[in-house]
Parts: sequence; C-alpha cells; structure tokens
Amino acid sequence: MRLSDIAQVIRSKNAGPRRLTLDIMFASDADYQRVAQSPALGAENIGRLYRVPADQVTIIPYPVGRAIKIVMARAIMAGDPGDLDVYGAQQHAPLLGIEI
Amino acid sequence: MSASGRIIADFKANRRPIRLLGASGQLGYGIPAKSFSAGLDRRPDLIGCDMGSIDIGPTYLGKGEMATSPEATRRDLRRVLHAARDLDVPLVIGSAGSAGAMPHLDATLALLRDIGRADGRHFRMAVMRADIARPYLHDAVRSGRVVSFDGMPALTDDDITAAAHIVGQMGMGPFRQALAADVDVIVAGRACDTAIFASLPAVLGFPVGLAMHMAKIIECGSLCCIPGGRDPILATLDDTGFVLESMNPERRATPTSVAAHSLYEQSDPFTVQEPDGELDLTRAHYEAVDDRRTRVSGAAWRDSTSPTIKLEGACKIGERAVLLCGSADPRFIAQCKDLLPKVADVVRDLVCEDQPLDYTLRFRVYGIDGVRMVVPDNEPSPGEVFIMGECIAPTRERAAEVVRSCKQFLLHYGYPSRLSTAGNVAFPFTPPEVSLGAAYRFNVYHLLQVTDPDTLFPVEIEDV
Repeated sequence: MRLSDIAQVIRSKNAGPRRLTLDIMFASDADYQRVAQSPALGAENIGRLYRVPADQVTIIPYPVGRAIKIVMARAIMAGDPGDLDVYGAQQHAPLLGIEI
Repeated sequence: MSASGRIIADFKANRRPIRLLGASGQLGYGIPAKSFSAGLDRRPDLIGCDMGSIDIGPTYLGKGEMATSPEATRRDLRRVLHAARDLDVPLVIGSAGSAGAMPHLDATLALLRDIGRADGRHFRMAVMRADIARPYLHDAVRSGRVVSFDGMPALTDDDITAAAHIVGQMGMGPFRQALAADVDVIVAGRACDTAIFASLPAVLGFPVGLAMHMAKIIECGSLCCIPGGRDPILATLDDTGFVLESMNPERRATPTSVAAHSLYEQSDPFTVQEPDGELDLTRAHYEAVDDRRTRVSGAAWRDSTSPTIKLEGACKIGERAVLLCGSADPRFIAQCKDLLPKVADVVRDLVCEDQPLDYTLRFRVYGIDGVRMVVPDNEPSPGEVFIMGECIAPTRERAAEVVRSCKQFLLHYGYPSRLSTAGNVAFPFTPPEVSLGAAYRFNVYHLLQVTDPDTLFPVEIEDV
C-alpha cells in the first residue's frame, strides 16, 4: 500500500530558512503504528529519496499527534538564487508513493 | 490608567483564569468578522496578532516592504485597535509589517497613528524596535558572541556591512517591560510569536511553560483545529493548563489536532528554543473538554542561563528580471534541459560582447523540475511545460537586456529534428519579460549570545 493511501496529511514546510521538515499524519493509531514500524520511513530510505546522506536525516515519531516528522537540511537556503520553493511547501511529493 | 495597568491591577485584586484572543496569525490578510466578533463577546483580557515571519523570504526584510497590502493591513489594524480600545484591553502586535525592521515598524506605526487620528481614538502605545546596531554587531563578532547554526557560514564584518537590515527576534523581556509601563497598545518589531501572548500571563504569575505552549498554538489562529483555518481562537489559561476554542463553530480543537500543531514549522515537536529559555513539551497532555474544545497541560519551562537572540539580515544581490513562456512541442520538451543552456550561451555571447559576464541566468522548467528539489530519473515527458528564465544582474537595465535577448533567441533557437520552425515557445502575454526589482538573500541568520537581551530592545512610549 502506498503512503498516500494510508496517511491523512503528508506535508512539507521550512523549519527556518535552512531546514526542511516533512510531516506525515494519520487518522488512527493503527495506521500510525503500521507506518511508524515500517523501514520504508527509516532515515536510510528517506535519505535515498531526497538524495541526502542518511545520517543527515532525522526521523521523529510523535505518537501523541499520530504523526511522524522528518527533518533535513535544505540544499539551497530559502530565497537564495536557484531556490525553487521559498516556503518549502511542495517538497512532499517523493513521500507519496512510498510502499508500506 | 491604561489597559495593561488596569488588567494587572484587576488580576492582583481578583485572580482568575485569563482569556487571550489570538486574532490573526498574519495580520494584513483579513480577519474573519464573524468569528472575531464572537471572540470579543467572550471578553478577552488581551488581543494579540502576529504580523510577520522569516518564512516569506529575504526580499521583504531587505527592501523594507510589507508583504501585505497597505489597504488590507490598515483594515485589520483598525479592526483590532477598535476592539481592544472598546474592551479596554491590551492590543499586542509582534513582528510589525511582515519582517519587523525599522521601515516595517514605522509603516505599521504610521497606519496606527493615522487610524487613531481619523477615528478620534487616543491610546498609549509602547514601541520596541528590533534593529540591531551595526557597531554593536561588529563588536559581537570580534568577541566571538555570534554563533552559526543550521550550517550557516560564520558571520563576517562584510556580511554586517552588506545587509540592508538586520533584526533580532526579541523574546518576552521587552513585552513584559511594555506591559508594566501601563500602555494600551504594544507594537514590536521582529519578535518571537510566543512573546505576544505569553508575556502578560508571565507578568501575572501564570506558569511560563503553559503560557508559552499556549502562545505557540494561538499565534497561528485556528490552524490547530480540524479543519484548520485563520479564524480567531480563544485560550483560557489557569495555573494548571489552558483550554483552546476556535471562534468559528465549524472548527474543532481536538486533542490530536492540537498535539499535531506542535509539528508545524518546527524541527522538534518536543522542545522549542526561545531567547529566554526552552519549552519542554515531552509531558504535554491533551484532553477533550467536548467535541470542539481541548484542554492542554504538562508543558515545562527551563530558563536559559545563556540567553541567545536569533539574528536575521538580508543583503541585496542584484536586480531581478524574468521571462515567462511555455511549450507544447514534444521534441522541444524532450530536449529542453539541454537546449536552454545553449540558448543561455548564445545570449551571453551577445550581451557580453563588450561587457563582462556580470549576471546569472537560470531556467526553471515547470512540468519537469520547476518545483521539486529532487526529481526522480526517467519520468515521462509532460504534454506541455512552463519555462521561467530568471536573470539577476547588477542593474535593472542589464537584467532586462538579458531576459529580452533570451526571449528572442529562445523563440527562434534552431535544434536538430525541429519541426516548429516559426517559434519554440508560447507567450501568455507580451511583453513576456518582467522586471521584478531588487533581489535579496539572507546573509545573516545567526545566534547572538547576550547576557542582557532586553537592553537591545528598549521600550519607547508614545501617546497617540
């Protein structure tokens, strides 16, 4: 099953101009548990999708919000020449097709 | 007595839970009238509005311009000013004018004075500037009190000189001083959004952890609800927790939706770093009061022994002009990532015939790689693409020269297998070249270590 079929929210945004944060939120504890335990949401796999070394990807499970947070550095600081997404609000697409 | 003095005296005489109305997470984009009015019916003890953020990018800070339109900003300011004066409660505005530097703050103050004059409203106003003096910063760099974070290169004297504006994000200290100075309206330059709402509860002796957690949530209006939105939100804080309620009956603050808000634009949902300390949310507890109100407890606060102020500065990097066009030709689209640099070479040979290469020209191809920072290999070719050429050059004229030349040579560039020999691209309108004015980038995003941060943001009092 694809992540976009399970999650209620899959979003990205800046956390300050130099970091990107991705939030995945679920409608039920069961959905959250299923994904939180999957290696597909590990730093290794996320790093590969975003072409960032795995040790520079932080994955934070947040059960009270039925959510998983991913944090990584932006390759280009928000608003610098060559930036594509000043708010970082459209960088979630690589997550949509992750197979759980 | 002014509003803040009255509230402080009121709580001294009769301590009770405090009600705070988060009117807007981004003042100047409209405040929904119905839910704002519902919020006023609940007789809040403070009306707060956040007006800015670093998210909007470097250009507003650099240029000294607001992101919101003057008309809409004036309308919102008028609405919250009248409401606060009618209730005789403090109105607190943070990060004035989008980026909170001198021109942003001055433009906000001018609007407030003008509204006061036009509507016959008199009020006592506290103003806190957030600009950090350059000699002070040079000295701080020399004494090693400016540190980098998030991979930002070390701050240099040249950065300080080059920045058009440099602000520091003030914390609660200046707000607490302003509240103690017996005022009706507080307008701060760049400030932590939490300070807008947490400072009055802190002055009144409510637990700082709870006040900070509450502030972090209500500074975004009803964004913590399902469905999230920009309607005003009411928080009622006591000594053990706070209750959140959107002023739009269709928005529900549920334990999960409120807890999930701690993720928003934060790199860590459990700890929030503030100038004066650290908010610890590991023991935060969210409990439904009913189907649209949630009670929150458990947040802890640790005062910092070494306060830091986040600095933000933006420097001009040139003048920006763009070219807007699109293509529906499969052969052109299939090759365009190779063709566009060749067009750029043709342009360079033309415009640099008797001048140095003093500009940058880049293309974003929407449909292929205009949006995503990472693009998978072997994606199918789209049916059409939008191409934005962007030039940053030393002058407006030079940037225009580059994109205008680019337009002509992109239109007629010949390539192998070309069928559409009358033109490679479609223009949605002409002229398709647009001068966008000065371009900026953040060149200051650092932490300033300072023993007494409040001295950086003195409180000025003005009677309007």
